Amino acid sequence: MATATYPPPTPYYRLYKDYLQDPKSAPEPPPPTEGTYVCFGGNYTTDDVLPSLEEQGVRQLYPKGPNVDFKKELRALNGDLQLHILELADILIERPSQYARRVEEISLVFKNLHHLLNSLRPHQARATLIHILELQIQRRKQAVEDIKRRREEAQSLLRESLATLDGH
Amino acid sequence: MDIISQLQEQVNLIANLAFNSIGTLQRDAPPNRLSPNYPEPPPHPTEDATDFAEQPKQMSASLIKAAKQFDTLVTALPISEGGEEAQLKRIAELRAENDAVGQELQRQLEAAEKELNLVQESFRQASDNCLNLKKPE
Repeated sequence: MATATYPPPTPYYRLYKDYLQDPKSAPEPPPPTEGTYVCFGGNYTTDDVLPSLEEQGVRQLYPKGPNVDFKKELRALNGDLQLHILELADILIERPSQYARRVEEISLVFKNLHHLLNSLRPHQARATLIHILELQIQRRKQAVEDIKRRREEAQSLLRESLATLDGH
Repeated sequence: MDIISQLQEQVNLIANLAFNSIGTLQRDAPPNRLSPNYPEPPPHPTEDATDFAEQPKQMSASLIKAAKQFDTLVTALPISEGGEEAQLKRIAELRAENDAVGQELQRQLEAAEKELNLVQESFRQASDNCLNLKKPE
């Protein structure tokens, strides 16, 4: 059975022959890519942002705007969801062939719910950062206090020992 | 688990309960009477009947419980008012304070290290003097 060999290592190693003697004779590593790049035939982007619902072709049920009241909208969407489930159950009793529209509406509500929750993540990240900074400030202040205390203890010890030596 | 992940899990749970209950009801429902011309369809054996009456009640109860749990979690969300700008301002303030405290810490550290070196040097001299004054036997 014929198997393909692995590709050979890249020939760039020859450029680093004198690296130990002269680190500058070898080329610098390539700078990090920006924007979009192609990897194994797929397009990726370095700018990680949550795509809005319109870009995914989904209707947005909660009002747009700079500041969305997350709690109110989440509760409203939850109520909507329960109503839609009830409507689906009703329509399965009366006109079972028309279930498709109701199922689509339910999936729309779910997509909106998940999108709203995902848009809370940047807020969470900033809150975590604030918490970490506060903890760090607290630890640094504690360390400053500790160092001050130890210095004073050491100085008082030295003064005492000086006094006892002088009194000798 | 953080609260947003809990909320996401709860949404997925509600979805599971919803399609499980609808699917179970649809699969297990006894046949319905289509037209007054045809006779009533034969009833199912009785062992199904009691379970089948309980199932919608239990399933709807768990669905409502999951929805209430979702509402509780939403109420517990620690979202502060002010949004993004307030958070960014707070982050800038904290960074400035952190830098100031860091510099203070650095100063204290340097002073303490200088004193430590002084003490070590004088201790070395004192011990040298002690050793030199000792007459070898």
